[in-house]
Amino acid sequence: MRKILCALLVTILVGCETLETKREAFPKMYDAELKPVSLVVVPAVNKTTAADAGDLITATIPQPFADNGYYVLPLPIVNKIFQEEGVVDGMQMISAPASMFREAFGADAVLYVTIEEWETNYIVLAANVTVGLSYVLRSTTTDEVLWSYKARQVVDTAGQSSGFLLLDVIKTAVATAMTDYLPIAYRVNAQAVTTMPFGNYHPLVGTDGDSGIVIKSVRDAAATDLAN
Amino acid sequence: MKIRILLAGLVLTVAGCSSVSQGGYYWGNYSVSYFEMVKDRSPETIAKRISALEEIIEQSKERDLRVPPGIYAELGMFFVEDGRKEDGMVQFENEIAVYPESKPFIERLVSRLP
Repeated sequence: MRKILCALLVTILVGCETLETKREAFPKMYDAELKPVSLVVVPAVNKTTAADAGDLITATIPQPFADNGYYVLPLPIVNKIFQEEGVVDGMQMISAPASMFREAFGADAVLYVTIEEWETNYIVLAANVTVGLSYVLRSTTTDEVLWSYKARQVVDTAGQSSGFLLLDVIKTAVATAMTDYLPIAYRVNAQAVTTMPFGNYHPLVGTDGDSGIVIKSVRDAAATDLAN
Repeated sequence: MKIRILLAGLVLTVAGCSSVSQGGYYWGNYSVSYFEMVKDRSPETIAKRISALEEIIEQSKERDLRVPPGIYAELGMFFVEDGRKEDGMVQFENEIAVYPESKPFIERLVSRLP
């Protein structure tokens, strides 16, 4: 009975989306020749009006990708080099051939991150933030897209009510300090990474091909976003 | 009964290494110190960043974990900027020793140094 219910629930949730395993969705990540070990992250392209969003993403991106088994080039140093070369926005990097990152940084792959959504909504006693990102990983040897995905989270950022209406309104606005956004940014990055095949430093590398639920349309949408 | 003991064991295991990430790294104050430095690069935020990096190395060693990618290299860079080039080189060597694929990057980095 429970099995039937579960099956039904999956059907309802997924509708007519095409689901794939990690290996089906990202076969190049299981190809010994193409699978990257080191990756370089270029400054995020920020399509939103939230000025701090780029820095929040930058500060939280190395962790989940390193945890997934990849050697992430030291971002603070990489960003400093980009700045010295006059690159402040990832937009300037998108049209550059990926091979450039092999020559300049010795990286196997380059990760492009686009901030699609970063909206804070205040509703008298509550506040929430919607964060949407898309990720594309490209090989620096063949220029091919190795992995791509989109992640979105809506997070309630309001704290406990004090019982006084006015105080709560002020508190809500103040409570959402910049560092409070760090865990949110981290969660979005971590969510996207769940669809990414494990890298060489992960103890389960190579064993996750038949697992994972990758929604094909979400994978494709991320790759299309980068092109536009 | 058995399941209960197993569960208790699991909880203990998980709780025991709560500050170790899924990938088996100790990240300490990595993202907060990074963000604060990016927002306002000052002697204070840089000092905080350096102590965050040193704490990550210390704790990783204590727990017998691999130091996360980039930590040694970044610390080395701070030493170089502080005029301690030799100390910086030691950290760059550490990065290469733990992550051999960082070698081309580190070599390019060193070639850019004044």
